[in-house]
Amino acid sequence: MLNTVIIFGFFAVFLRLIDLMIFNHKLLSEKGQQQYLKAEEIQSRRGIIFDRMGRELALNVEMESLYCEPDIINRDSESIKKLAFAIEKEPKEVFAKIPRNGKFVWIERKLEPSLSDKIKRLNIKGTGFMNEAKRVYPKGRLASHILGFVGIDNQALEGIELQYDKYLRAKGGKVFLDRDAGGRILSSGIEKEVKGNNIILTIDEGLQGIIEKEIDKAMLKWRASAASVIMMDPFTGEILALANRPSFDPNTAGRYRDFEKKNRSITDLYEPGSTFKIIVGVGALEEKIVRPDTIFDVSKGGIEVGGKVIRDVHKHGVLTFKEVIQKSSNVGSIMIGLKLGKDKIYKYAKLLGIGEKTHIDLPGEVSGWIHPPERWSATSLGAIPIGQEVAVTPLQILRAYSAIANGGFLVRPHVVSEIISPEGEVIYSFNKMEERYVISQSTAETFREILKSVVWEGGTGRCASVDGNEVAGKTGTAQMIDPITKRYSKQKYVSSFVGFVPADNPRLALIVVIYEPKGQIYGGVVAAPIFRDIADQSLSYLNIPREDDTGETLLVVSR
Amino acid sequence: MIHIDRRLIKNFDWVTLSIVIVIVFIGILTIYSATRPVLEEDGYSFYIRQAIWLIFGIAGLFLMVSFDYIRLSRLSIYLYIIGFISLISVFIFGREGMGAQRWISLGPLSFQPSEFFKLFYVIMLSHQLSSANGALRTIHFFRLFFLVVFIPFVLLLKQPDLGTALIILTIFLSLTLARGIQRKILILFIIIGIISLPFIGTIFWEGLKDYQKNRIIAFMEPGVDPTGIGYHINQSKITVGSGKLFGKGYLKGTQGPFRFLPEKHTDFIFAVFSEEWGFLGSISLLSLYMLIILRGLKTAIDARDDFGRYLALGITFMFLIYCIVNIGMTLGIMPVVGIPLPFMSYGGTALLSNLISLGILINIRTRRFELFH
Repeated sequence: MLNTVIIFGFFAVFLRLIDLMIFNHKLLSEKGQQQYLKAEEIQSRRGIIFDRMGRELALNVEMESLYCEPDIINRDSESIKKLAFAIEKEPKEVFAKIPRNGKFVWIERKLEPSLSDKIKRLNIKGTGFMNEAKRVYPKGRLASHILGFVGIDNQALEGIELQYDKYLRAKGGKVFLDRDAGGRILSSGIEKEVKGNNIILTIDEGLQGIIEKEIDKAMLKWRASAASVIMMDPFTGEILALANRPSFDPNTAGRYRDFEKKNRSITDLYEPGSTFKIIVGVGALEEKIVRPDTIFDVSKGGIEVGGKVIRDVHKHGVLTFKEVIQKSSNVGSIMIGLKLGKDKIYKYAKLLGIGEKTHIDLPGEVSGWIHPPERWSATSLGAIPIGQEVAVTPLQILRAYSAIANGGFLVRPHVVSEIISPEGEVIYSFNKMEERYVISQSTAETFREILKSVVWEGGTGRCASVDGNEVAGKTGTAQMIDPITKRYSKQKYVSSFVGFVPADNPRLALIVVIYEPKGQIYGGVVAAPIFRDIADQSLSYLNIPREDDTGETLLVVSR
Repeated sequence: MIHIDRRLIKNFDWVTLSIVIVIVFIGILTIYSATRPVLEEDGYSFYIRQAIWLIFGIAGLFLMVSFDYIRLSRLSIYLYIIGFISLISVFIFGREGMGAQRWISLGPLSFQPSEFFKLFYVIMLSHQLSSANGALRTIHFFRLFFLVVFIPFVLLLKQPDLGTALIILTIFLSLTLARGIQRKILILFIIIGIISLPFIGTIFWEGLKDYQKNRIIAFMEPGVDPTGIGYHINQSKITVGSGKLFGKGYLKGTQGPFRFLPEKHTDFIFAVFSEEWGFLGSISLLSLYMLIILRGLKTAIDARDDFGRYLALGITFMFLIYCIVNIGMTLGIMPVVGIPLPFMSYGGTALLSNLISLGILINIRTRRFELFH
């Protein structure tokens, strides 16, 4: 009898063991894990963005976010009304945010310290605060199109923030911490805060400040619809400053509309107009079709191509090749274009990077276009040499002019110079690419001389000349295509000036593009003075010596 | 001086002793794991204390083997009286712990008289059953029941020590059944039992402390409130269930040291063991217990005389009930009555008394061939 009891007893235990440990293992061990594993959000902090001198352009500020536990909070209480009042919201709005039941819901994210203190003093049961990092752009609108912005959860949305998100973002997620029945955390040494990598830009806050100020002045003065300015080191491709109008404040990016947030200097296309004349000019010199003093007779003031007559703004007599560029003669440029032929025009446009992305490290860049010769119409040869029927970005034009400035190679524009890990290790640094010469040095040199004459007496860009240093550059004025009629508008123009300074030892390449200026249209009148003002201030900011300084005065100063 | 016979050594039950020592060591390791510090500030020494008690226990075990067990028969009435007095003394000197008055402090040690009373009780019962001739007569049966069983049963209920109380009742019934009992007595006993059941049941229920009532409710409906009364059972099931086939590994268990499982190193040590050693470890451990019990049964069958037979049976049955009830409650198939797992649960008195009981069992087996003494 006892045997039966023993066998029965042990068998029952045996069966139960199978039941619990094999069949119900999953359910039970999950229950166990729910008890002792506590998931904690890792506080992730995005990397800081610095300018080239180490000045902070984007950083994080610890802020407190208000949450509530719907299961605990008394939804009908007077205190919710007080809470709503404290965060300056309608009580209805707050009520709507709190479901009938649940464990966690945000009420207001990233509160100002004064507000969160006020709410803490209310001491409402079922509410609490959690630290969150708010992305702050201390300089406001400055360089906003480069920096971009993030959303409420610090998710990257635009600009550097987006382009370099995988570096800036710290892998957050959750850590599972062991805790005991009393709620004590048992694991130690687990990182609860992670930092992203810091980025050092090529941007110089000082130069950026100059262009931001000047672009604002220009917008006001010309009541323009938009504007873009880019400043680049013509040898390295480092973007020193870049600004567009309209613009936005990345701290409150949500309040702005899309057209204000887009970086039109790389995302918008325009017809370059006369600044494009260097394509035929460079091509003709490279192909040795012309010399600087080759004569073009433009005295008729017009030329017929494919049944369409293109005219000069002013009547010129007989011009040398050099003067065609200096005075920006349409007729002369078309004559050069006709000499060069459409295949060669296309070849040199492509060589100088027209219709191709510059591959700048910012999101949203477009390539623009120039049609291949077989798709050209009868009138194309009269339009393309003077910069119509092509679509470019301001950055593409700037890059083409930089090739003249640096002796003939295409740079790769970029805004990030280095990425540094939180531990201080350099994990990325911009690799200067092999200098791929697209035009010969002698052509570049010749053309540099021609571009210098543009700002001399008799050139179209006299207003761009800077006191103390020589400027090389080119004006541009192009008709915009009316989006309604799809034809060239008589009122809407794009005025631009692109160039570099000091002309013989270029430090800065700069393009100024003003869309729809009112009152005046010509690049030489609208854009050139802006170029001058920016270049003037930038040269002194960079302490670039004046070319008219004599060694003696320098010696005096140094004494 | 204690005379040590060569035959004594030859016949000594080394197998049982080895198995039990293995179990005790497993117990000490598990106590360490269950109470191991997970934070610096925790520091427990339960496993060291248990190891010290093991040394005492082994000494007691050998002491128990050293003399012929038949002497216990002669001493039984005195032992029983000592046990009885110590049981009463709990109410006078005892200190309360975990809602029950079970302990007596003797200097630095605390002592649980009911642990030893059980053993004395089994000795007394065996003596009484073996000394009566022929079938157990009615008057004899009820005298035995009231004098030896009922009074301590009530005292244990008062302590309250529900587990031990139920066990002495069960042992009485099983031993008298094994002794052979007239059918009419059995029927009478059962009828009296049934008639008095509602009456006793009410007294019993009223007499229970709240926590005991809760345990019974919790056993019936463990899902009612996992953090309330059913908490214990649910936590125990979670702990066992986390083990799976091979277990989490030694010192990898979480539920015990993280203090989710209460009584992890005492009554619920089996759960902690299962979590770390898995299903395979658990059935291995079960097999060890089964071996001891089967061997105890064999000892009873082979015993030299009736006293030895009843004594061996009583002790073996005690181990069996303890094992099955303890593991059963750990697995949620028995109510939580708060009895330890023999040889494994932390507790000095219980370990000592169990090893002494085992000593008696070995004594009986060792002397099974001796005819005279």
